[in-house]
Amino acid sequence: MLFKKLFQVLVLGGAVVGASAGCSQANAQDKGKKPAADAGATSAPSGGGVKGW
Amino acid sequence: MTSARRAAAEAWAFRARVEQEAALRFDRLAAVVAGFDAGSPVPAMMRRAADDERRHTDLCARLAASLGSPVRLEPVELPAIAPQSLDERRAALYEIVAACCITETESMATLTTLLAGESDPEVREVLHAISKDEVVHSRMGWAHLSRESTSAEVAFLGALVPGMLSGTIDEALLGPPPVDEDAEGLLQLGVLPHAKKREVFLGTLEQVVFPGLERFGVSPEPARQWLATAVGLR
Repeated sequence: MLFKKLFQVLVLGGAVVGASAGCSQANAQDKGKKPAADAGATSAPSGGGVKGW
Repeated sequence: MTSARRAAAEAWAFRARVEQEAALRFDRLAAVVAGFDAGSPVPAMMRRAADDERRHTDLCARLAASLGSPVRLEPVELPAIAPQSLDERRAALYEIVAACCITETESMATLTTLLAGESDPEVREVLHAISKDEVVHSRMGWAHLSRESTSAEVAFLGALVPGMLSGTIDEALLGPPPVDEDAEGLLQLGVLPHAKKREVFLGTLEQVVFPGLERFGVSPEPARQWLATAVGLR
Protein backbone atom coordinates (compact mmCIF):
# COMPACT_ATOMS: atom_id res chain seq x y z
CA MET A 1 0.00 0.00 0.00
CA LEU A 2 2.83 2.37 0.93
CA PHE A 3 4.64 1.73 -2.35
CA LYS A 4 1.53 1.97 -4.51
CA LYS A 5 0.68 5.31 -2.96
CA LEU A 6 4.24 6.58 -3.36
CA PHE A 7 4.21 5.60 -7.02
CA GLN A 8 1.00 7.55 -7.58
CA VAL A 9 1.98 10.61 -5.58
CA LEU A 10 5.63 10.89 -6.63
CA VAL A 11 6.02 9.32 -10.07
CA LEU A 12 2.61 10.06 -11.58
CA GLY A 13 2.34 13.33 -9.66
CA GLY A 14 5.74 14.36 -10.96
CA ALA A 15 4.76 13.59 -14.55
CA VAL A 16 1.72 15.84 -14.17
CA VAL A 17 3.91 18.67 -12.86
CA GLY A 18 6.34 18.18 -15.75
CA ALA A 19 3.56 18.34 -18.30
CA SER A 20 1.94 21.42 -16.80
CA ALA A 21 4.25 23.80 -18.65
CA GLY A 22 5.29 23.87 -22.30
CA CYS A 23 7.14 20.93 -23.79
CA SER A 24 10.88 20.64 -23.37
CA GLN A 25 12.95 21.64 -26.38
CA ALA A 26 14.63 18.86 -28.30
CA ASN A 27 18.36 18.71 -27.87
CA ALA A 28 19.51 20.07 -31.22
CA GLN A 29 22.37 18.02 -32.58
CA ASP A 30 25.67 19.43 -31.39
CA LYS A 31 24.24 22.86 -30.59
CA GLY A 32 23.17 21.91 -27.07
CA LYS A 33 26.01 19.53 -26.41
CA LYS A 34 28.03 21.57 -24.00
CA PRO A 35 30.31 19.74 -21.64
CA ALA A 36 28.89 19.32 -18.14
CA ALA A 37 29.37 22.37 -15.90
CA ASP A 38 31.41 20.28 -13.49
CA ALA A 39 33.30 18.38 -16.19
CA GLY A 40 36.81 17.75 -15.03
CA ALA A 41 35.78 17.50 -11.39
CA THR A 42 36.42 14.11 -9.89
CA SER A 43 33.78 11.54 -10.65
CA ALA A 44 33.78 7.81 -11.20
CA PRO A 45 33.98 6.89 -14.91
CA SER A 46 30.70 5.01 -14.62
CA GLY A 47 29.08 7.63 -12.38
CA GLY A 48 28.11 7.69 -8.75
CA GLY A 49 25.08 8.16 -6.56
CA VAL A 50 23.66 10.44 -3.92
CA LYS A 51 23.51 9.42 -0.28
CA GLY A 52 20.20 9.92 1.47
CA TRP A 53 18.33 9.09 4.65
CA MET B 1 23.80 7.46 26.62
CA THR B 2 21.75 4.48 25.35
CA SER B 3 22.79 2.67 22.18
CA ALA B 4 19.63 3.83 20.39
CA ARG B 5 20.25 7.44 21.37
CA ARG B 6 23.85 7.28 20.22
CA ALA B 7 22.90 5.67 16.88
CA ALA B 8 20.08 8.16 16.35
CA ALA B 9 22.33 11.13 17.10
CA GLU B 10 24.79 9.90 14.47
CA ALA B 11 21.99 9.31 11.98
CA TRP B 12 20.61 12.85 12.41
CA ALA B 13 24.12 14.31 12.12
CA PHE B 14 24.61 12.37 8.88
CA ARG B 15 21.25 13.62 7.62
CA ALA B 16 22.30 17.22 8.33
CA ARG B 17 25.29 16.74 6.00
CA VAL B 18 23.14 15.05 3.36
CA GLU B 19 20.72 18.00 3.42
CA GLN B 20 23.57 20.49 3.22
CA GLU B 21 24.86 18.82 0.04
CA ALA B 22 21.36 18.61 -1.42
CA ALA B 23 20.96 22.40 -1.11
CA LEU B 24 24.12 22.98 -3.13
CA ARG B 25 23.11 20.40 -5.71
CA PHE B 26 19.65 21.86 -6.29
CA ASP B 27 20.98 25.41 -6.62
CA ARG B 28 23.45 24.25 -9.28
CA LEU B 29 21.02 22.03 -11.18
CA ALA B 30 18.37 24.78 -11.26
CA ALA B 31 20.73 26.97 -13.27
CA VAL B 32 21.74 24.14 -15.61
CA VAL B 33 18.18 23.03 -16.43
CA ALA B 34 17.04 26.63 -16.97
CA GLY B 35 19.77 26.89 -19.60
CA PHE B 36 18.23 24.31 -21.94
CA ASP B 37 14.57 24.06 -20.89
CA ALA B 38 13.31 27.60 -20.37
CA GLY B 39 9.66 26.52 -20.07
CA SER B 40 10.29 23.95 -17.37
CA PRO B 41 8.78 24.37 -13.90
CA VAL B 42 11.72 22.34 -12.50
CA PRO B 43 14.31 25.14 -12.02
CA ALA B 44 11.95 27.19 -9.84
CA MET B 45 11.08 24.05 -7.87
CA MET B 46 14.78 23.35 -7.39
CA ARG B 47 15.52 26.83 -6.12
CA ARG B 48 12.75 26.45 -3.55
CA ALA B 49 14.03 22.96 -2.75
CA ALA B 50 17.52 24.37 -2.06
CA ASP B 51 15.97 26.73 0.51
CA ASP B 52 14.04 23.80 2.00
CA GLU B 53 17.24 21.77 2.30
CA ARG B 54 19.03 24.58 4.13
CA ARG B 55 16.14 24.63 6.61
CA HIS B 56 16.29 20.83 6.90
CA THR B 57 20.01 21.02 7.58
CA ASP B 58 19.30 23.17 10.62
CA LEU B 59 16.46 20.94 11.81
CA CYS B 60 18.59 17.78 11.53
CA ALA B 61 21.64 19.42 13.13
CA ARG B 62 19.57 20.71 16.05
CA LEU B 63 18.08 17.27 16.64
CA ALA B 64 21.51 15.63 16.43
CA ALA B 65 22.81 18.10 19.02
CA SER B 66 19.86 17.54 21.35
CA LEU B 67 20.55 13.79 21.14
CA GLY B 68 24.18 14.35 22.04
CA SER B 69 25.99 14.66 18.73
CA PRO B 70 26.67 18.33 17.91
CA VAL B 71 27.32 18.83 14.19
CA ARG B 72 29.97 21.15 12.82
CA LEU B 73 28.99 21.90 9.27
CA GLU B 74 32.00 22.98 7.25
CA PRO B 75 31.62 24.48 3.78
CA VAL B 76 31.59 21.55 1.35
CA GLU B 77 32.46 21.14 -2.29
CA LEU B 78 29.94 19.07 -4.16
CA PRO B 79 31.55 16.12 -5.95
CA ALA B 80 30.54 15.49 -9.56
CA ILE B 81 28.61 12.25 -9.85
CA ALA B 82 27.72 12.03 -13.55
CA PRO B 83 30.11 10.11 -15.81
CA GLN B 84 32.52 12.54 -17.46
CA SER B 85 31.54 11.30 -20.92
CA LEU B 86 28.08 12.89 -20.68
CA ASP B 87 27.33 16.34 -22.11
CA GLU B 88 25.76 18.99 -19.87
CA ARG B 89 22.14 18.08 -20.54
CA ARG B 90 22.66 14.35 -20.06
CA ALA B 91 24.83 14.92 -16.99
CA ALA B 92 22.02 17.02 -15.47
CA LEU B 93 19.51 14.27 -16.21
CA TYR B 94 21.82 11.69 -14.64
CA GLU B 95 22.25 13.77 -11.50
CA ILE B 96 18.55 14.61 -11.18
CA VAL B 97 17.53 10.97 -11.54
CA ALA B 98 20.13 9.93 -8.94
CA ALA B 99 19.29 12.73 -6.48
CA CYS B 100 15.52 13.02 -6.90
CA CYS B 101 14.06 9.92 -8.55
CA ILE B 102 16.16 7.58 -6.42
CA THR B 103 17.41 9.30 -3.27
CA GLU B 104 14.51 11.68 -2.57
CA THR B 105 12.00 8.94 -3.39
CA GLU B 106 13.76 6.64 -0.92
CA SER B 107 13.75 9.45 1.66
CA MET B 108 9.99 9.85 1.24
CA ALA B 109 9.48 6.12 1.81
CA THR B 110 11.60 6.32 4.97
CA LEU B 111 9.77 9.39 6.25
CA THR B 112 6.35 7.92 5.52
CA THR B 113 7.27 4.71 7.35
CA LEU B 114 8.63 6.64 10.33
CA LEU B 115 5.54 8.84 10.51
CA ALA B 116 3.31 5.74 10.57
CA GLY B 117 4.98 4.67 13.82
CA GLU B 118 5.32 6.21 17.27
CA SER B 119 8.08 8.74 17.71
CA ASP B 120 9.01 11.33 20.30
CA PRO B 121 7.09 14.62 19.84
CA GLU B 122 10.21 16.66 19.01
CA VAL B 123 11.30 14.09 16.44
CA ARG B 124 7.83 13.80 14.96
CA GLU B 125 7.65 17.55 14.45
CA VAL B 126 10.90 17.48 12.46
CA LEU B 127 9.79 14.44 10.43
CA HIS B 128 6.55 16.22 9.52
CA ALA B 129 8.29 19.45 8.54
CA ILE B 130 10.74 17.63 6.29
CA SER B 131 8.29 15.18 4.69
CA LYS B 132 6.01 17.85 3.27
CA ASP B 133 8.96 19.28 1.33
CA GLU B 134 10.46 15.95 0.27
CA VAL B 135 7.34 15.08 -1.70
CA VAL B 136 8.10 17.99 -4.00
CA HIS B 137 11.82 17.16 -4.16
CA SER B 138 11.08 13.67 -5.44
CA ARG B 139 8.39 14.88 -7.84
CA MET B 140 10.68 17.41 -9.47
CA GLY B 141 12.97 14.54 -10.52
CA TRP B 142 10.11 12.61 -12.08
CA ALA B 143 8.88 15.83 -13.68
CA HIS B 144 12.26 16.42 -15.30
CA LEU B 145 12.64 12.82 -16.47
CA SER B 146 9.14 12.93 -17.88
CA ARG B 147 9.89 16.12 -19.85
CA GLU B 148 13.21 14.84 -21.13
CA SER B 149 11.62 11.56 -22.23
CA THR B 150 9.41 13.47 -24.66
CA SER B 151 12.18 15.53 -26.24
CA ALA B 152 15.48 13.72 -25.83
CA GLU B 153 16.92 10.24 -25.74
CA VAL B 154 16.84 8.96 -22.16
CA ALA B 155 17.40 5.21 -22.68
CA PHE B 156 21.16 5.70 -22.19
CA LEU B 157 20.44 6.00 -18.46
CA GLY B 158 19.44 2.35 -18.07
CA ALA B 159 23.00 1.07 -18.07
CA LEU B 160 24.04 3.84 -15.67
CA VAL B 161 21.49 3.25 -12.90
CA PRO B 162 23.65 0.53 -11.24
CA GLY B 163 26.35 3.19 -10.76
CA MET B 164 23.80 5.47 -9.11
CA LEU B 165 22.68 2.66 -6.80
CA SER B 166 26.19 1.65 -5.83
CA GLY B 167 26.82 5.22 -4.72
CA THR B 168 23.55 5.43 -2.83
CA ILE B 169 23.27 2.16 -0.95
CA ASP B 170 24.92 2.01 2.41
CA GLU B 171 27.01 -1.19 2.42
CA ALA B 172 25.81 -1.98 5.95
CA LEU B 173 22.22 -2.13 4.72
CA LEU B 174 22.93 -5.32 2.79
CA GLY B 175 24.86 -6.91 5.66
CA PRO B 176 23.58 -8.56 8.84
CA PRO B 177 21.74 -6.44 11.44
CA PRO B 178 23.73 -5.10 14.38
CA VAL B 179 23.55 -7.55 17.28
CA ASP B 180 22.54 -5.10 20.00
CA GLU B 181 20.06 -3.01 18.03
CA ASP B 182 17.23 -1.41 20.04
CA ALA B 183 14.60 -1.32 17.30
CA GLU B 184 11.91 0.34 19.41
CA GLY B 185 14.29 2.98 20.73
CA LEU B 186 15.48 3.82 17.22
CA LEU B 187 11.95 4.24 15.88
CA GLN B 188 11.09 6.63 18.70
CA LEU B 189 14.09 8.74 17.73
CA GLY B 190 13.30 8.81 14.01
CA VAL B 191 15.53 6.05 12.70
CA LEU B 192 14.44 2.83 10.98
CA PRO B 193 15.90 -0.36 12.45
CA HIS B 194 18.10 -2.36 10.06
CA ALA B 195 15.53 -4.94 8.89
CA LYS B 196 12.83 -2.33 8.32
CA LYS B 197 15.22 0.00 6.55
CA ARG B 198 16.27 -2.78 4.20
CA GLU B 199 12.66 -3.79 3.53
CA VAL B 200 11.62 -0.20 2.79
CA PHE B 201 14.67 0.55 0.67
CA LEU B 202 14.40 -2.55 -1.52
CA GLY B 203 10.60 -2.32 -1.75
CA THR B 204 10.83 1.29 -2.89
CA LEU B 205 13.32 0.39 -5.59
CA GLU B 206 11.28 -2.54 -6.87
CA GLN B 207 7.83 -1.00 -6.64
CA VAL B 208 8.35 2.72 -7.13
CA VAL B 209 11.71 3.63 -8.66
CA PHE B 210 12.11 0.81 -11.21
CA PRO B 211 8.52 1.01 -12.52
CA GLY B 212 8.90 4.80 -12.67
CA LEU B 213 12.06 4.59 -14.73
CA GLU B 214 10.44 2.06 -17.06
CA ARG B 215 7.41 4.29 -17.52
CA PHE B 216 9.61 7.03 -18.94
CA GLY B 217 11.70 4.82 -21.21
CA VAL B 218 14.64 3.90 -18.97
CA SER B 219 15.15 0.14 -18.67
CA PRO B 220 15.44 -0.96 -15.03
CA GLU B 221 16.84 -4.38 -16.00
CA PRO B 222 20.54 -3.53 -15.52
CA ALA B 223 19.68 -2.11 -12.08
CA ARG B 224 17.60 -5.19 -11.19
CA GLN B 225 20.50 -7.44 -12.13
CA TRP B 226 22.97 -5.31 -10.17
CA LEU B 227 20.69 -5.36 -7.13
CA ALA B 228 20.12 -9.12 -7.28
CA THR B 229 23.87 -9.65 -7.32
CA ALA B 230 24.48 -7.13 -4.52
CA VAL B 231 21.79 -8.64 -2.29
CA GLY B 232 22.78 -12.22 -3.20
CA LEU B 233 26.38 -11.67 -2.29
CA ARG B 234 25.46 -10.96 1.32
